Amino acid sequence: MDISSLIDSLHPLEVKVLSTFEANPSAVVQTDQLAQSTGLEPSQLSMAVEWLLAKSLIAVDTETVTPNVSLTKIGELYFEKYSPIERVLSAARDAAKTGKRLTIQDIQSREGLEPAEVSGAIGRLKKEGALLIIQGGCIESTGRPSQTAEAMRGLLQQLHGAPRELQAFPEAQRQVIQDHAVKRGNAREPFRIDDRVARALKLSVTGIEAAQQLSRQGTAEEVSQLTPELLKDGSWRTKRFRKYTISLRAPRIAPGKRHPYREFLDTVKTKLVSMGFQEMRGSLVETEFWNMDALFMPQFHPARDIHDVYFVKEPTHASLIAEPFLSRVKQAHQNGGETGSTGWNYPFNAERSRRLVLRSQGTAVSAHTLATQPAVPGKYFSIARCFRYDQVDATHATDFFQVEGIVLGEDINFRTLLGLLNLFAREVAQAKEVKFLPAYFPFTEPSVELHVRHPKLGWMELGGAGLFRSEVTRPLGVTVPVIAWGLGLDRMAMVALGIHDIRELFTDNLDLIRSTRGAF
Amino acid sequence: MPTITISKQDLEGLLAAPGEAPQPITMEQLEESLMLVKGELKEQNPDTGELRIELQDSNRPDLWCCEGIARQIRVKRQGSLAKYNFLTTPSKSAKRLNVVPGLEEIRPYVAACTSTGYRVTQEGLAQLIQTQEKLAEMFGRKRRTVSIGLYRLAAIEFPVTYDLVKPDEVTFTPLGMDTVMTLGEMLLVHPKGLEFGGILAGQDRLPVLRDAKRQALSFPPIINSREVGEVRVGDDALFVEVTGTDLSMVVLTLNILAANLADRGAVIEPIEVRYPYKTALGKAVWTPQDIGKSRTLPVSTIEQALGQALGAQEVAKALTAYGYEVTTRGGKVTVTLPLYRQDLMHAMDVVEDVAISRGYGDFSPVMPSQFTVGGLSRIEEVSDRLRALMVGMGFQEIISNILGSPQDLRDAMRLQGTEWGQLVEVDNVMSQNFSALRQWMLPSLLRVEAASNRAFYPHRMFEAGEVARHDLTQPLGSRTVTVLGGMIAHADAHFSEAHSCLDTLFYYVNQAYSLEPIQHPSFLAGRVGGIVSGGKQVGVIGELHPEVLERWQIGVPAVAFEIDLTELADRS
Repeated sequence: MDISSLIDSLHPLEVKVLSTFEANPSAVVQTDQLAQSTGLEPSQLSMAVEWLLAKSLIAVDTETVTPNVSLTKIGELYFEKYSPIERVLSAARDAAKTGKRLTIQDIQSREGLEPAEVSGAIGRLKKEGALLIIQGGCIESTGRPSQTAEAMRGLLQQLHGAPRELQAFPEAQRQVIQDHAVKRGNAREPFRIDDRVARALKLSVTGIEAAQQLSRQGTAEEVSQLTPELLKDGSWRTKRFRKYTISLRAPRIAPGKRHPYREFLDTVKTKLVSMGFQEMRGSLVETEFWNMDALFMPQFHPARDIHDVYFVKEPTHASLIAEPFLSRVKQAHQNGGETGSTGWNYPFNAERSRRLVLRSQGTAVSAHTLATQPAVPGKYFSIARCFRYDQVDATHATDFFQVEGIVLGEDINFRTLLGLLNLFAREVAQAKEVKFLPAYFPFTEPSVELHVRHPKLGWMELGGAGLFRSEVTRPLGVTVPVIAWGLGLDRMAMVALGIHDIRELFTDNLDLIRSTRGAF
Repeated sequence: MPTITISKQDLEGLLAAPGEAPQPITMEQLEESLMLVKGELKEQNPDTGELRIELQDSNRPDLWCCEGIARQIRVKRQGSLAKYNFLTTPSKSAKRLNVVPGLEEIRPYVAACTSTGYRVTQEGLAQLIQTQEKLAEMFGRKRRTVSIGLYRLAAIEFPVTYDLVKPDEVTFTPLGMDTVMTLGEMLLVHPKGLEFGGILAGQDRLPVLRDAKRQALSFPPIINSREVGEVRVGDDALFVEVTGTDLSMVVLTLNILAANLADRGAVIEPIEVRYPYKTALGKAVWTPQDIGKSRTLPVSTIEQALGQALGAQEVAKALTAYGYEVTTRGGKVTVTLPLYRQDLMHAMDVVEDVAISRGYGDFSPVMPSQFTVGGLSRIEEVSDRLRALMVGMGFQEIISNILGSPQDLRDAMRLQGTEWGQLVEVDNVMSQNFSALRQWMLPSLLRVEAASNRAFYPHRMFEAGEVARHDLTQPLGSRTVTVLGGMIAHADAHFSEAHSCLDTLFYYVNQAYSLEPIQHPSFLAGRVGGIVSGGKQVGVIGELHPEVLERWQIGVPAVAFEIDLTELADRS
C-alpha cells in the first residue's frame, strides 16, 4: 500500500494521534501526554493506538507497568456502610458495653452480612486479638484494637473515588490491600489492583512519512457524510471524505415483491394471453349442474360422491338452474337428447343438479363460458382455485389452482388438438420432445395426455386434453368442435421454487417467502 | 380409475396364440401396448414379475384385468378378434335358473353360466377374485347395481332358484365364518353384511340363490356360502352368476367374466334364466348374450374429427384390429362392439378407437390457425394493478389456502354472531382446518404473521385473491369476491401507516374515498373505519384488536386494511 492510500484508509482517531507528532516526528511521547494533546477519551485513545500499532505506524519505545489500586463496587459500599470487619468489631464492643451475649448468627441477621463475610471478619479479628470466641458460639470484645479495621477505614477514605498507585501506601497498608483485593474466585472484596501500563510511543519510519504527508495535506477536515449544507455553501471542496470499506456485507432489507408461486402463475397467464387466450372467471361455489352434469359426468359417477367433492352446508341447494340448459343436459344424460348420443340411460335427478359444491374442477368455468355464447373462433383460459376432498399431504392439497381452458373453431379436430398441445409444451414447459398418450376424461372424446421431456424433470405429464363430447357442447348451445385442455403445472412450479412439498406453495413462513428466488 | 395387480408371466401366457409358447415381453413393448388400454404402469417388481397398472377408462370394465389387457393387445396383433363360440349354440340340455316373483322390486336381474375344462391356477384365481372385486366395487357401484358370485359347480344341482325369503328363513355358513347363521344375522354380524347391508335396507324379504336340493349358494349381493361358494386352486368346474339392478350391466359383467374364462381355455356353457316378469330381453334370457347394437356412421364424420383423410378401408382395418365387427358400404361404416364392451354412446367414441388403434403417433400435429385476441378479465387487470402498487410500497405478497377453519376465520377474529362472521361451510368435513371458505382476507395474513415472529421486522404483506361472501339473495347462496388485504406488523405499527398506503392505492386507481367510523369487533374501537367509495362501503381499515392478536399468538401490534376489488372493477 502506498503512503497516500494508507492515509486514506486511516480512521479520524488515528489521524488525530498521528497529527500530534507533526511538530516533532521523532519525539517519544507518553500515553498520558497523548491523552492530553489529543483530548481523546482513554478508550478512544487506546483503540487508536492499538490500530496504529497493528499497522506498524507507531512503535512502543518503553513500557512501564504500575500496579494501581481502586475501590470495587463492594469497596464503595464499604466506604458508605462500613466493612464487615468494622461492623463486627463495633457490634462486639456495643455488646460488651451493654453486657449482652452476641452470637455469630445475631451479627449475621442484624447486619445483613453474608456468612463468608462474617466468618472472614471474625477470623481476622480473632487473629489480631481483638475478639474472643466463647462457649455457645458467642463472641466477646477483648477491648484491644484491630489494625486491620483501623487501616481499612483509612484506605476506604483515601481511595474513595480516587485510585492510587499501590506503591504510594506504606507496607502495612499494602498488606491489607493485598489481603482484601479481588482475586480469581473471590470477587467480593473492596479493592482491585490493576496493572497500569504506561507506554512511551514513537513513530516508525512509515509513521514519520505518514505524519509528514498528513502535515503536507494541511488541515482539510475529514468528514464521513456529504450533507446538504456542505453542498449549499460549497465547503465540500475543503473536506476530505473518509473512504469506506466497501467489501463489507450489506445490511439486509426486505423488499416488496410478488409471491414466487404467484410470479410463476403470472408468467403462465402472460404466456396464455400472448397465445391469444382470453381469461375466464368463475365462482368458488358451484352447482353440481355446472361442476359435473353439464360435463356429462353421470350422477352415479364415483368422482361425484362425498369422498371426492366438498358439499356446501348451507344453503344446500341453488335456487335454480338456468334453462334451457337444465332440460337439455337432463336429456343428454337420459337418452342423448339432440346430441347424437345414447346417453347414460338412467333417471336424471334435477334436484341433485342444484346441490351446491365447492368447485372441484376448472372445467366448470369452461362450461359456463360455453353457455354464454363464446366467440368462434375463440380461445379461453382460467387459473381457477379448485377443491378436492383429499387427505392433505406432500403431494395432495385440498385447495389448488387448475390451469385450463377451451378452444372453439370450425378447424378444430384431433390433429389441431395435438398442435395446440405441442404449442403448450414448447411455450409453457420449454420442452422440445412430446408424447401423446390415449387418456380418459368423462367430458372429452378423443382424449389425450400430454407428456413432455422437461429440461430438469425428464419425462413428465404436463396436461390432459380432448375434444369436448357433443353431449357437453350441444346442450350448452355450441355447434362447433371445442378443445378442452388442462395443464398440471404444480410440479413445474415446485421445481422452479425448489420445494418438495406441495403444502409449501401456500407456506405461512414469511422468511421462506421473502428468501425464495424462484427460477423462471 | 382402478389400479390392478397382474403377473407379467400370466400376461405373456395370455398373449400367446393357442398352442404357442409364451414370448417374453419387454418393458418398452409393454408400455407401448398399454396405450391400447389407456393403462399406465405404476410399479413393477422385476423379481416376482408383478406389475401394478392403472386403467384410466371408467367405461371399459373389460380392461380391468389381465385377461382384458391381454385380449386388447392380442386383437391388435392379430388384426381382429377371434369369435367366442358360447354365444351361438346353447345346448338343448342347458342348465336353468328360475327367478321368483317379487325380485323385480328388490334386485331384479341375474345372469349366469358355467365354466368347465379350465383348472384354476394360482394366478388365475388371483385374477378372478380381483376382477370380481373391481367390477362389483367400481362398475357395480359398490355392489349396488352389480355383484358377482363364483361357485364350485360340482356341488350344485340344477335348476338353481333366485329366491326371495324372510330374513330368518334360510341359514348357511357364510364365507369367512364358521357358524351357521340366518340372512338377518349375516346383515348384523358379517363384515360384508355391515358393509353392503345398506343396499337391502328396508326389505322384509331378502334375495337368496338356492339349488334344486334347496341348498343355499349365496345371499346376493352380500356373501357366498362357504360350502359351495369358495373357489380354490385346482377347481376345474365353476358356476358364475351376476345379480343386479340394471339388466344390460348385469349381462355385460357376465360376458366379461365368460370371455376371461374362455381366454384361459374354459368351455363356457350358457344358462337360461327364466323370469316371472318382463325384462328388456324377454322372460327367458340366455346368458352370456351379445346385446350390443350396431351403429352406422359416415367415414367422413371420422375423418373430419380426426383431421385426416383415411378412407373406409383404413377405418375398417383400424376398428377391426381394435375388436369391432365392421362392414363398409357407400362411404359409411357399420360397427358393432365386441360382447365385452357396451361403451359406444356417440360416434366420437368410435373416432377415438380409430385413433387409438392406429396409434396417436400416427397423427401429425397441426397448429390451429385462426386468429384470436387474448386478454385478461377486468378483475384480473384491476387486481394486477393494485398488486404492483402494493409491491411498490414495500409489501411482500403472500398466497394462502381459501379453505380455512371457522375458528380462524370467525372466532379468532371475534366475529361470532356478526354479519362479518357468516361463512360458507363444508357439509362433509374431512378436517376442521379446511372446513369453510374464507369470507375475508385478514385471517390469511394473520396466519403468516402468527408463524413468522422470527422474520425480521417490519412485516408488510398483502394478498389479492378470492373470498366467498355468504349471501342468501344470490342464486348460489354466496358471492365470490376478489379482495385485496394488506397488513403491517411491527413494534410501532400505527393506523396512519396503513392509512397512507390506502390513500396511495385510491389515488392511483383514481377513485375518491372517505373513512367513516364503524364498529368492527376485529379492530380496536375508535381506530377502525369503513372505507366508503361511490356511496358504498368497499372495505375496512384499522388497528387489530389486542384480543385478536392474542388469539393468534401474535406479539406485535398490527394494522390492516381490506378492499373489495370486484366492487372497484365494476365501476368503469
